[in-house]
Amino acid sequence: MSGPTAMEAQELTREFPGGVRALDGVSFTVEEGEIFGYLGRNGAGKSTTVRILTTLLRPTSGTATVLGHDVRKDPGAVRKVFGCALQEAALDELMTGREHLVMAGRLVGLGKSQAGERAAELLESFGLQAAADRIAAGYSGGMRRRLDVAMAMVRRPQVLFLDEPTTGLDPQGRRAVWDLVRGLRDEGSTVFLTTQYLAEADELSGRVAVVHEGRIAAIGTPQELKDRMGVTTIRVRVAPAEGQAVIDAVRPGAVTAGAGGWLAIDVAGGEAAVPEVVARLVGAGVAVDRLRIEPPSLEDVFVGLTGTEIEASAGGADVGRITAVRRGLGVPTGPGR
Amino acid sequence: MTPFAQVRLLLFRSLREGARNPVLAYALPIIIPFAVLVLVAKTLYRVTDLPGFPTDNYAEWMTPAIIMLTAMTGVGYAATSLVIDIQSGFLDRLRLLDVRPTALLLSRVLFDVVRVLPAGTVLLVLGLALGTNLNAGLLGVVLLYGLLVLWAAAYGGLYFVVALTTRNAQAPLALAPLFLPLQFLSTQFVPKSLLPGWVQAISAWNPFTYMIDAGRAMTTGPLTAAPVLKAVAVALGLLIVTQALSRRAYRRAMGG
Repeated sequence: MSGPTAMEAQELTREFPGGVRALDGVSFTVEEGEIFGYLGRNGAGKSTTVRILTTLLRPTSGTATVLGHDVRKDPGAVRKVFGCALQEAALDELMTGREHLVMAGRLVGLGKSQAGERAAELLESFGLQAAADRIAAGYSGGMRRRLDVAMAMVRRPQVLFLDEPTTGLDPQGRRAVWDLVRGLRDEGSTVFLTTQYLAEADELSGRVAVVHEGRIAAIGTPQELKDRMGVTTIRVRVAPAEGQAVIDAVRPGAVTAGAGGWLAIDVAGGEAAVPEVVARLVGAGVAVDRLRIEPPSLEDVFVGLTGTEIEASAGGADVGRITAVRRGLGVPTGPGR
Repeated sequence: MTPFAQVRLLLFRSLREGARNPVLAYALPIIIPFAVLVLVAKTLYRVTDLPGFPTDNYAEWMTPAIIMLTAMTGVGYAATSLVIDIQSGFLDRLRLLDVRPTALLLSRVLFDVVRVLPAGTVLLVLGLALGTNLNAGLLGVVLLYGLLVLWAAAYGGLYFVVALTTRNAQAPLALAPLFLPLQFLSTQFVPKSLLPGWVQAISAWNPFTYMIDAGRAMTTGPLTAAPVLKAVAVALGLLIVTQALSRRAYRRAMGG
């Protein structure tokens, strides 16, 4: 990546009263037009990073800029260039959807009629026309989230922060947000997207930063991370008598037996090393009945970086979510809000 | 958007919500003062028989004090709403839209002020119905509204300090009964000369006393400068102190 810089964070730290260190020296650069995925569990420091970049919170130390404006020295200028949807869909229960958007429009400097037009546009593109004139207290979790993201879009921001935009959404709501983010990417917007869903980061992000315990554990495109840290698996089905031949043909410890005569061979060195392993099997005269290649997943990378497997860590809502991805269920539906 | 325009927009938001919740927003401040005035006028009217009591109509004696009391039973709603905005994250949303802290706080204070206007009017009309004479004339009434507004903003400031310091929506509720001792430690029920010595001493430090004395000068008269100026100085002083403390508590609440 070598485009102009949209955001830059250098050695950001944030300590909360009581000595809790939410961020511990975070540095990254986001290029203009990039969708930057910020992946981590609950409590990893995702929201703290967003709150610092959006000037809601001052860093304890370190610097950050958004489109060249320093978040500490010139927070007013920073606030004029971004849109942001925070983790909790923050609505006023007694205001209607339309009133939210009109107020946001007025606050970013639109005139009365302009604000009304912009609100109508956004209500339509977010599918909220039917509920536009009802107060937010009666909105479903998905509607609240959509209205919140719509409020972030009022300004037509150059940079958009989406803090866990799909947490708590049903599959339709999630798809709508994904489509929105892809649309923004196609228009060349810069998006800073935090998520605890591996599949989401993989699907949407140009680059991903894996954040763990207040530090960046790795940054790269999903493919780079997988190539660097993931494990490619070859699954072969052979006659029971040939199992030992397979184990002898590849490096020790790489083979695990599965059900139905399937053997799983972990291939170090990524997909590039697959032909060599297959050639060795053929060279050893193993009759391979069936063969499948499983590319590395971001899940492998995540587990590799964060040390513990998510399932093994102590409880918490995020545990189940990431576990479910691992089991191949896709992104699970979180609890409704 | 200019800070002034932000204040106007946010005040409009509060007024609109008040209209959606009229009982809590506008009717509640009326209930206690209304009940107190009617009850004391109908039960304690013989207090005026005490030697040295300046009037023989107890309702007339009580009315100016009760009008000022609406500012003390009516505030708190805006401070609670502010805490709810903090808790829901809506305040963060407003900050992301570059709303200035001054606009956030001032719009809420002004809403408290607006809420006492219907209450003060209802109590003034009730007082007139119970035989209160407006010897100080129209000028007195205009000044009365001015002081009521200033007092509401000043007294309401206490609620903002408590709300922003604790960030607990229930905390302003706990402050509500403060008006009870303040009533008894003032000249609301009887003239200063009829209060015990120690209460007289305390009442001189009770801001409410100054509002009552000025309120009487502005209604039953005589309208003289001294009580009016004293009351304005006391209310203005309290307003400045509470607003400075609210600003500080706000900055802390936002994590510095």
